[in-house]
Amino acid sequence: MSTVLDQIEQQIAKLSTKAVKKNTGNIRTIADGVAKIDGLSDVMYNEMVAFPGGAIGIALNLEESEVGCVILGDVSKLKEGDEVQTTGKLLSVPVGKALLGRVVDALGNPVDGKGPIDSKETYPVERIAPGIMARKSVNQPLFTGIMAIDSMIPIGRGQRELIIGDRGTGKTTIAIDTIINQAKINKVGIASGDAKFRPVYSIYVAIGQKSSNIVRTVAALEAAGALEFTIIVAATAADNPANQYIAPYSGAAIGEWFMENGMDALIVFDDLSKHAVAYRQISLILKRPSGREAYPGDVFYLHSRLLERAARLDGKGSLTALPIIETLAGDVSAYIPTNVISITDGQIFLETDLFNQGIRPAVSVGLSVSRVGSSAQIKATKQVGGKLKGELAQFRELAAFAQFGSDLDAKTKGQLDRGARIVELFKQPAFSPSPIELQVSVLFAMQKGFFDPIDAKKVVAAAADMKNFFTTRKDALLTEIRTKAALDKDIEAKLQAACEEWKSGYTA
Amino acid sequence: MAAAAKQAQQLARQLFKLSVVDGAVSADRVAGVLAYVEKHASSNSVLVLKAYRRLVAVELAKSEARVEHAGIIAAPALSAIAAAMSKKYGRAVVATSRPNPALLAGLRVRVGDDVYESSVAGQLAALSLSV
Repeated sequence: MSTVLDQIEQQIAKLSTKAVKKNTGNIRTIADGVAKIDGLSDVMYNEMVAFPGGAIGIALNLEESEVGCVILGDVSKLKEGDEVQTTGKLLSVPVGKALLGRVVDALGNPVDGKGPIDSKETYPVERIAPGIMARKSVNQPLFTGIMAIDSMIPIGRGQRELIIGDRGTGKTTIAIDTIINQAKINKVGIASGDAKFRPVYSIYVAIGQKSSNIVRTVAALEAAGALEFTIIVAATAADNPANQYIAPYSGAAIGEWFMENGMDALIVFDDLSKHAVAYRQISLILKRPSGREAYPGDVFYLHSRLLERAARLDGKGSLTALPIIETLAGDVSAYIPTNVISITDGQIFLETDLFNQGIRPAVSVGLSVSRVGSSAQIKATKQVGGKLKGELAQFRELAAFAQFGSDLDAKTKGQLDRGARIVELFKQPAFSPSPIELQVSVLFAMQKGFFDPIDAKKVVAAAADMKNFFTTRKDALLTEIRTKAALDKDIEAKLQAACEEWKSGYTA
Repeated sequence: MAAAAKQAQQLARQLFKLSVVDGAVSADRVAGVLAYVEKHASSNSVLVLKAYRRLVAVELAKSEARVEHAGIIAAPALSAIAAAMSKKYGRAVVATSRPNPALLAGLRVRVGDDVYESSVAGQLAALSLSV
């Protein structure tokens, strides 16, 4: 008890006896999470202001006779006439490894009931993105564990790859699979004791989502053992729009800590469509002029300044961003989707038609692209998957003739058969990412024709059996592929022998 | 409605600019403005006057140092505060005293939007926030 008293006395002694200057104002109106304040003559743009009762706000509108502030937190106890003070600070969030495995709100406060977070540093929520000279080109792969993506739309560390599609097409599932895959790779890498291994830490920012969805996501990550490498920033649909507006920037600040301390991180923004809607709401309440679709004029800058913070830094780490955008009726030419497509380094387009046909993940290979491309692929994947995109493109062109199967020449029929099997091969259950070495092995088998005698409808089962065979009986070969990251003649011979062995024991 | 409010704001700002002479609000000019508004009364006169009142109040507050004190404050202390604030802000500032026992001890001086806190109550509030 005496140490507690000593602490308090030290705190009292530390307090300066000099007069402390504060700049104040009074709330004139407060509605919909936005307060209009008289006074605050010295406030700066984006400065944090303190409301009575512990709520904080950000000064977003500096007008001649009033200041418009968005309030983060509980507004129910605020009223007209309440005094507001400037803090002289920008909004900051706690950062560091102490947040791993935790669920926090947009201000970095824990909401998972697991106690306070012992964070030693804070980073400002709004920050200028790294300059040109500080960056390095993207050439390290980030494996999603989804064969369709890793083989044809590869993502690199430091890239921004958009996941775009209608509701219920599997966008969040792709993001969660990627997070789970990073956790799996981390565990294997850490267990191997390789000093050069760089784990990837994940940040999942949920914006405007149902709380039940976030609970389900946390449960999926926990079940897969991925939560210990993940930080979840939650701004649910029940949160006020200011929290939903701030959440992605808070997540980016958390990710930047990893990047600037020589580590690699992955951040998922789920989703930026709801983020734009929240910003539109705030802007309309602040009476800012509205433009196309009632969005404010700076809605492009809203997302560009966020996504530019994802980068690979020279001499430090990287932050890879997977923003998600929800389209309506597949319209990728709408306002917000076109904005974000122009900002990112590629997109993964998910189609409802493919999803309904049972092709899941419903990746449209024709419309999806990675602008980083094969620079972010290991040599092994290039060797086995280099022709896949072309073969699938030919298959799509010839698909109209599939109904006339008996009247086609042998070459066309062969292309159709090969294409149909590739499509089946790329089907993958949710929350089951595949390690890259297993993907390479399966694609090698496809390339060498091991799936050709198997009926197209049975390829999925055959591929699952092959994966099981390689995992249980060819672990050493998989490890060799993973460590060498390329297929030399020796490994190719071993793969060939392994596939022959599998084929001899498999009955379709 | 919004257009009328905006018009009233603009008129109030113009009337306010006319009311300031040498950086201070002139009582004569204010009287003149009030007479003008009364003579040219319209449907948004109330809005204009309310906006005008707010602008004048903000300007007057910049020239007044409201000194809140818990105990007794001597006249020389008030004069010293007025002189210090006049020097700091570069304009004539008049100090007025207001007793406020809630401060416990010390002073709180308010000039416009700026508050100079050196009261015990303020320091305890800062302490409770930092703990």
